[in-house]
Amino acid sequence: MIKVCVLRIEGTNCEEETALAFARLGASTELVHLKQLTGAVKERDRRNLADYDLLVIPGGFSAGDYVRAGAIFAARLKGALSAELSEFVSEGKPILGICNGFQVLVELGLLPGNGDNRYAALTTNSSAHFECRPTLLKHENRGNCIFTKGIPRGAILKMPCAHAEGNFFIANEEYIQRLEDNDQIVFRYVDPAGNYASYPWNPNGSVYNIAAICNPEGNILGMMPHPERAFYSFTDHEWWRAGGKRGRGGEVGTYGDGKKLFESIMDHLRSHIYML
Amino acid sequence: MVDRIELRGAKDEELVRISTIMGLALNLEEMKKIQNYFKSIDREPTDVELQSIAQAWSEHCCYKSSKPVLKRFIFGIKAPQCIDVIEEDAGVVALDGEFAYVVAFESHNHPSTIEPYGGAATGIGGIVRDVICMGAQPVALIDPLFFAPLDYPYERLPADVKHPRFLFNGVVSGISDYGNRIGIPTCAGMVYFHDRYAGNCVVNVGCVGVMKRKDLRRSSARAGDVLVLAGGKTGRDGIHGVTFASGVLKESEEYRSAVQLGDPITKEPLMHAILECNDQGLIDGMKDLGGGGLSCAVSEMCYSGGCGAEIHLERVKLKESGLHAWEIWISESQERFLLSVTPDKVDSLLTIFDKWDVDATVIGDAVSGSHIRLYYHDELVFDLDVAFVLDTPVYERPKAIPNVESEESDMDEPDSYDEILKMLLASPNIASRESIIRRYDHEVRAATVLKPLQGIMGKETHADATVLKPLESSFKGIAITADVNPAYCELNPFWGAASAIDEACRNLTAVGAVPHSFADCLNFGNPEKPQCMGEFYECCRGLGYMASSIGVPFVSGNVSFYNESEALGVSIPPTPAILGIGICDDIRECVTVDVKAASNPLYVVGTTKRELGGSAYYRLRGEKCGIVPRTDPQVLKVRMAALRDAMAAHMVASCHDISDGGLAVAVCEMLIGGDLGADIDISDLNTGSESGRLRSDYKLFSESNTRWVVEVWRDVRTNFEKLMHDRGIVISAIGYTKGERMITMRDGAKKLVELPLEELSTVWRAGIA
Repeated sequence: MIKVCVLRIEGTNCEEETALAFARLGASTELVHLKQLTGAVKERDRRNLADYDLLVIPGGFSAGDYVRAGAIFAARLKGALSAELSEFVSEGKPILGICNGFQVLVELGLLPGNGDNRYAALTTNSSAHFECRPTLLKHENRGNCIFTKGIPRGAILKMPCAHAEGNFFIANEEYIQRLEDNDQIVFRYVDPAGNYASYPWNPNGSVYNIAAICNPEGNILGMMPHPERAFYSFTDHEWWRAGGKRGRGGEVGTYGDGKKLFESIMDHLRSHIYML
Repeated sequence: MVDRIELRGAKDEELVRISTIMGLALNLEEMKKIQNYFKSIDREPTDVELQSIAQAWSEHCCYKSSKPVLKRFIFGIKAPQCIDVIEEDAGVVALDGEFAYVVAFESHNHPSTIEPYGGAATGIGGIVRDVICMGAQPVALIDPLFFAPLDYPYERLPADVKHPRFLFNGVVSGISDYGNRIGIPTCAGMVYFHDRYAGNCVVNVGCVGVMKRKDLRRSSARAGDVLVLAGGKTGRDGIHGVTFASGVLKESEEYRSAVQLGDPITKEPLMHAILECNDQGLIDGMKDLGGGGLSCAVSEMCYSGGCGAEIHLERVKLKESGLHAWEIWISESQERFLLSVTPDKVDSLLTIFDKWDVDATVIGDAVSGSHIRLYYHDELVFDLDVAFVLDTPVYERPKAIPNVESEESDMDEPDSYDEILKMLLASPNIASRESIIRRYDHEVRAATVLKPLQGIMGKETHADATVLKPLESSFKGIAITADVNPAYCELNPFWGAASAIDEACRNLTAVGAVPHSFADCLNFGNPEKPQCMGEFYECCRGLGYMASSIGVPFVSGNVSFYNESEALGVSIPPTPAILGIGICDDIRECVTVDVKAASNPLYVVGTTKRELGGSAYYRLRGEKCGIVPRTDPQVLKVRMAALRDAMAAHMVASCHDISDGGLAVAVCEMLIGGDLGADIDISDLNTGSESGRLRSDYKLFSESNTRWVVEVWRDVRTNFEKLMHDRGIVISAIGYTKGERMITMRDGAKKLVELPLEELSTVWRAGIA
């Protein structure tokens, strides 16, 4: 059975629904406090990162996000779990960071990767405040990202975002080309017509409308929008416009676009683990 | 560190002086009662004891002015769903056989007026604790806010009084930063503007939680239990918060110390740790530390459990050294809970808190008897019978029943309906709240099904109610709305309050929910003034009349008096904010507010009367008189049931309650969300006994209660008409939606409005920024 570790510390707050999303698809999912991985708890509560097939850093405000979003969580991971994390990544095991998790992965230097994180940051939204709104994401990965292999290139997925610091910032525009060349760009914000558009379609002012990127190896994905909030279609108010359950104006089903991402991850994990 | 106060020999003026100097906020009569008690036990009180009694006897804690009225009108509405209501920090109501939901609703007005960011944040902190201490997981926050207009002239504000824009920005930021950080969605609320909130804004905070019924914990201790203080450290913030809230607001930085400091990142793991302990059955009873701090929590847990306690104050972990014993005892520092635990479970409990890096300290024991004894470094500093501490005063205050409602003069019909409609849509009490709503995470926990904004992506409009799907295993939904129209209450407190209940019911019905319970947060001026007491009495009477007639109980609530600014010499308008909770059997059957398709017929359900007192239209035109809307609970019941049946039969495409701005505004809001136009003709609008004689502007902008605009699927319109006819429900066909994005309104041959949707939505979206 696929074992998913959803990591929590004080202030992570999307862990339960994220864990549920994997559990609904048959994963063995566990909410694990960082202290359980670093050994700072009683024997019976200790866990080993190497025992899991997927590490998820969920959304929230880890440690209050007081220094910078994700900075404290990242510092603690670096301080106490550096070796285990490196080993996990070098084995090709996947790490998913959602929202605050994306911010943590950037702070850790795992994203954009290449051992070079001086050029990228997730900075304050261009609106200068928190933005909770639906977003449309165009899938642009050419096959490098293991998380989205099951999603057709060019497909547009709808998922909500909710963050104050999601503005993907890059110091040097040439770096975008490197992301493109390495096939690291996964999702970009678009408008309903599928065009790269500005606010509010790009909710935070991200350069190149970037919503999600992976590392060059494709096994670490960070994304600002929340797929776990779009697992079912009925958390999307436009479902009622499409007729909802009663099917007036077209049958749209019970599941939302977020589920497609989780399924794609699970499909990859299943095939990968069976190959081992 | 502990003073003995010479009370027994004190004369009247000395008693008053002691009360003032120590910040007790007790009157002479109350001081005399305390004096007599200490005479009877033949010793002088310590400062710890006097401070403790003052907390318990404050208006905020003991409801001494409001209790007789609440008992008469609000408490005791019987309903089978009630599990544990009114008596505890939060009301517990059955959701189904296995689960319950929990509701709490409180004010945080004085702190927010002094320090808006911290006041609003700690308001959330407090209400969340009230829900957790019943054993429930918080799942929703609700924030009704009331300010003076944002363009209030600076020159009209005395130097000490903060401008409403400062208060508004601070409060919204406080809610956003605290609510988002603790991961509880802020999914409903209201923002209302009125001149009389200058110098005293009103910030109410509600919280809904969900729990297994078997996890319910009472706020009581049993003799033999160990008492554990868990959470944040104790400091000088929030000293005298309750006594500060029990007097007329003196705007001064001097009172800033009465405002607590919130820390969401202590609260978040504390919440996890407590719920984990409760899940494992390690907690016997618990209570959050709110007003009055430890003093109130210990007294109330002991009183409720029929026991006493021995507490060692030096064990309490402090933020800073040098606190006096009395300060430790009454500090309202945030993020703290008192837990009673059987001795064998203490170790397991402390292990869980340790995992979450949350402090938890054994501070004493619950003992048999009825005395609470406090030791501070082995010195006995407090030894009182809890029965005396909680033998709180009750007052039947004199009241004057206000009656400012009067027949209006006939003003001229407007020259341009186009302009009036645009001005209404742009007015602060109607314009889009999107800029606020987007700053609150309203869907963390991934259970917010119907959101506070609904409609086509990028075109969303205001929802009537938010709906949550709290259980993984069930499609059952909890619908939430917050309502009151203070302008009605100002003119006629009885019908104003009744209208708030009507509106809450309308909003819940509009999404397809059945009203299930109410919480009330009653914000008024100084109860020692007969006028304010009269307003309070009449509002409670109105709430009780409506709720008892429709059989929906009040399960929780809060009274906030003394909402008056000393500097401005005004009190707030009567503000009985209502939190309405409804139940949806299957959230997939809910109805949203945005129109769905062109060529669907639109109906008004209900009768439109000349009831414009306090209406948005009259306020816009400067008309101060007029009759506020009346309501009939029996009619409300019948209309709600019929409308829900029409929804269940899939006849209703969209639905919106008619409130501020009347039917014209309601229709526009629906069209904005669905991005369609409409042709409206109000010539056949049912106006009851005034049939045919009601002027066009009154028809369009009347705020008569118990009305909805309903978009019906065109192929079932005759079924809808028949259903309503069979039930004896008054409906009026008012026109059709159309693909062309134009809105026209006419009254027979008389053209009233002809405007592009774009123009209306632009003025509405300009919002309140």
